[in-house]
Amino acid sequence: MVEWRRWRVPLGWLALLLAATLGMGQLEGVFRWIESDSRQVIYARADFLTLLGRHLLVVSVAAVLAILVGVGGAIAATRRWGRDFLPLVSQLASIGQTFPPVAVLALAVPVLGFGTLPIIVALLLYGLLPIVRNTLAGLEGIDPGVMEAARGMGMSPSQILRQVELPLAAPVILAGVRTSVTINIATAAIGATVGASNLGDPIISGIVNGNTAYVVQGALLIGLLAISVDSFFARLPLASAH
Amino acid sequence: MIDLIHVTKRFGAATAVDDISLSVAQGELCVLVGTSGCGKSTTLRMINRLIEHSEGEIHIDGQQIRRFREQTLRRRMGYAIQSTGLFPHWTVARNIGLVPRLLKWPAARVQARVEELMALLGLSMEAFAGKYPHQLSGGQAQRVGVARALAADPDILLMDEPFGALDPITRESLQDELRTLQARLHKTIVFVTHDMDEALRLADRLVVMHQGRIVQQGRPLELLREPADGFVESLLGGEDRGLKEAALLPVSQRMLPLGPRLLARERIGQQASLREALSLMLWRHAERLTVVDDDDLPVGELSLRRLVGARSDG
Amino acid sequence: MRTPRPAPNVVLLILALVGLTAWLGLESVSVAANRIVPGTGYRVVEVIGGGALLVTTLPWLALAGLAWRPSRTRFIVALVIVVLMLSALPAWLALSAAMLVEGGQARLGIAAGLWVVFFLLLLAMIELRTRLALSRLVGWALLLPPVAIVGLGVARWLSALALWQEYRSRSDQFLGALGEHLLLVGAAVGASLVLGVGLALAMRRWPGLQRVGFGVLNFLQTIPSIALFGLLLAPLAWLSAQVGWLAALGVSGIGWAPALLALVGYSLLPMVRNTFVALEAVDPGVIDAARGMGMSRSQVFRQVRLPLALPVILEGIRITTVQAIGLTAVAALIGAGGLGTFIFQGLGQAAMDLVLLGALPILVLALLVDALLGALTDILRPGVAE
Repeated sequence: MVEWRRWRVPLGWLALLLAATLGMGQLEGVFRWIESDSRQVIYARADFLTLLGRHLLVVSVAAVLAILVGVGGAIAATRRWGRDFLPLVSQLASIGQTFPPVAVLALAVPVLGFGTLPIIVALLLYGLLPIVRNTLAGLEGIDPGVMEAARGMGMSPSQILRQVELPLAAPVILAGVRTSVTINIATAAIGATVGASNLGDPIISGIVNGNTAYVVQGALLIGLLAISVDSFFARLPLASAH
Repeated sequence: MIDLIHVTKRFGAATAVDDISLSVAQGELCVLVGTSGCGKSTTLRMINRLIEHSEGEIHIDGQQIRRFREQTLRRRMGYAIQSTGLFPHWTVARNIGLVPRLLKWPAARVQARVEELMALLGLSMEAFAGKYPHQLSGGQAQRVGVARALAADPDILLMDEPFGALDPITRESLQDELRTLQARLHKTIVFVTHDMDEALRLADRLVVMHQGRIVQQGRPLELLREPADGFVESLLGGEDRGLKEAALLPVSQRMLPLGPRLLARERIGQQASLREALSLMLWRHAERLTVVDDDDLPVGELSLRRLVGARSDG
Repeated sequence: MRTPRPAPNVVLLILALVGLTAWLGLESVSVAANRIVPGTGYRVVEVIGGGALLVTTLPWLALAGLAWRPSRTRFIVALVIVVLMLSALPAWLALSAAMLVEGGQARLGIAAGLWVVFFLLLLAMIELRTRLALSRLVGWALLLPPVAIVGLGVARWLSALALWQEYRSRSDQFLGALGEHLLLVGAAVGASLVLGVGLALAMRRWPGLQRVGFGVLNFLQTIPSIALFGLLLAPLAWLSAQVGWLAALGVSGIGWAPALLALVGYSLLPMVRNTFVALEAVDPGVIDAARGMGMSRSQVFRQVRLPLALPVILEGIRITTVQAIGLTAVAALIGAGGLGTFIFQGLGQAAMDLVLLGALPILVLALLVDALLGALTDILRPGVAE
């Protein structure tokens, strides 16, 4: 019961998102009022549920890959055998965050072409940075006394990693994942300009055709999506410890 | 001269300081001692109005402290605290010159005063003036803290566990320096500590506080000999009290003039404490010590019986 | 007694070997007949032939060799080699142009191989800079020789470079867009600085504001920029239709007004958070001492709290500015102008070099601001331990 209550707010946002996705057509009257000049006021090139699904898919694939590579890489760079790479990796993670996501996305296109693949790659690359950075910070930030004690008790390196380091670093790592996903939801929407079809589509198409109603529909759904996801992250049990 | 008259401090429903009266004479070093949470820091901070008292009156040289502007009052008093509170973005010299500059002294006078104080506290101008606080050791930083408190030559010095964070050796040497300084400067000092050894070493007057009240006050020896109750007794070290008392008494007080007998082989200075004398006797298995003056010339002798205060020498 | 042999620097070794592979194996440059048709890629060997190719492998092998038995001296030598190689890249482009490009319309593109090499060399430079414990400023100074060579040679020998041709055909537009971009970023950061510091001070005074304030700002930061631009479109359009003087000011649903509004909204969170945290985080012992010494409230704030908080506040300005540079690029979508215009135009026309013309300056701008404000923060940090 108490467990369920924790999720009330994110579930509320999610319900709102789904309702808006499925019921956008019912709001025709409102959009007619916003955009009285156009004949068509509800974006119809694809239905909103499909767009939402594609948006989520791209972001999830990129996020899962980014977590695997990012957490894995940061763990590797903090092991004894990977220490050589630590300075470069941490420098790269901090310099990389200076890169604007749009620029990264735009630079991916000349190399990878149009479509969904460059977006996933760009999101993966960009999403890596906060994850790597936070994982490093979390692992490096553990009290050396705790590590010393763990070794002194005779724990093996992998036991220390699984039972001490990762649980202690988890809140910081999770905060990195949250940042990464939030940025990627936004960047994926801009991906509509490089040929991906997702919730960015109505916005771009609305701007191009001068149809404010389309823009508002896309913006509303992306906004709700971002807020739902962020509010889930905010309530993960580990995140509250941070 | 500082007078606290029936002073009480309440934080909401909790009473931190409960109807205390205390008077610190000109040139006296008064140590407030007690366990943490006993109200000693609160009492100190009420004197410079970092905390306003709820009831009663506090006087400085016969005038109510509320008559002064807070800042004027504080600039008249030195203030040194455990964390030093040195400004990390200012050099040592600038930190020390803080209050004189607040008082709008001319720059040349501030400069001269800073040099004087650094010399007084054994900090060489070339080595330390341009350093930043994070480049100092704990002991050096605390010296700068004391120098800063003394900068405008205030009559009153408030010190809140200034040596609490230092290692024992540095702490002892700073305690010695404070005593030497006090012998020269005769400030009126209120000093807060929870360390009873520190309190006994420094205090002219010792004030024991417990649960917001003053349990007992007096000269250190008076408290050692006649603790008011079990709490004061345990705070004073219980069974160690004899040794603590011996640490406060000089050899010269118990020694006898040189007699006809041969001089004992082990020697001790007449300014050493009885505790040191006892330790030497235990260590060397000696029942008698020859007492010498500063030039190492024999001036008397001390036997174990005399040391422990027995009436006549056997 | 012999000193033990130092372990190889694996990082530099790998970078050198991967770099060499990319140099030999991937297409280095491409040539296109005009700006729309896709270009033909050329590997290094196809440009200069086998013999010369062998010569170009030498610096890579030297790097690998130096990494095998590292020492401080060898790292310095390696760093010099890396800087020379970076400086040689423009020369390589000029050489390729001379060998491959014929005719006025034809243009030279930079292909994947050369980008990879460029990136790996930068990584090597960062690695060496870190190993040699050189300051960030020195690191930036090391980039000057390659940049200077590009600057000197671009008009004369690199005129066939597609990126340069894109620039030349719209140099006026470019400068205009750069100006707009900087103006928007400057206005947004300036406005959010004033508002943000005010808000942070208000939150310190009335702690009740903190929860609400940070709640709203966090919420705002979560909303994707493109969505916020879009959501502002309708109300602003309505406002300008209703209020005459707003329309006269140029406020409308698209253009600079929604862009600036959204930019300020995003910029407030990092600005307020850093200012607030910075002012709160000052050691209470220092403040206690300052008050105990008899400093007045405003003296404590101006002489102690503010100077100690300044580096963290500047950090907030840095984060905000870098973020605003990127977001302003997105604002081009709603007609706010700026360098993002080239990105979206280029994407629309499938003209990749036009995309680069927008994206590269944005990247450089972000890095430059980051470096400058970072250096300023370091300067303003006297006496505070790192």
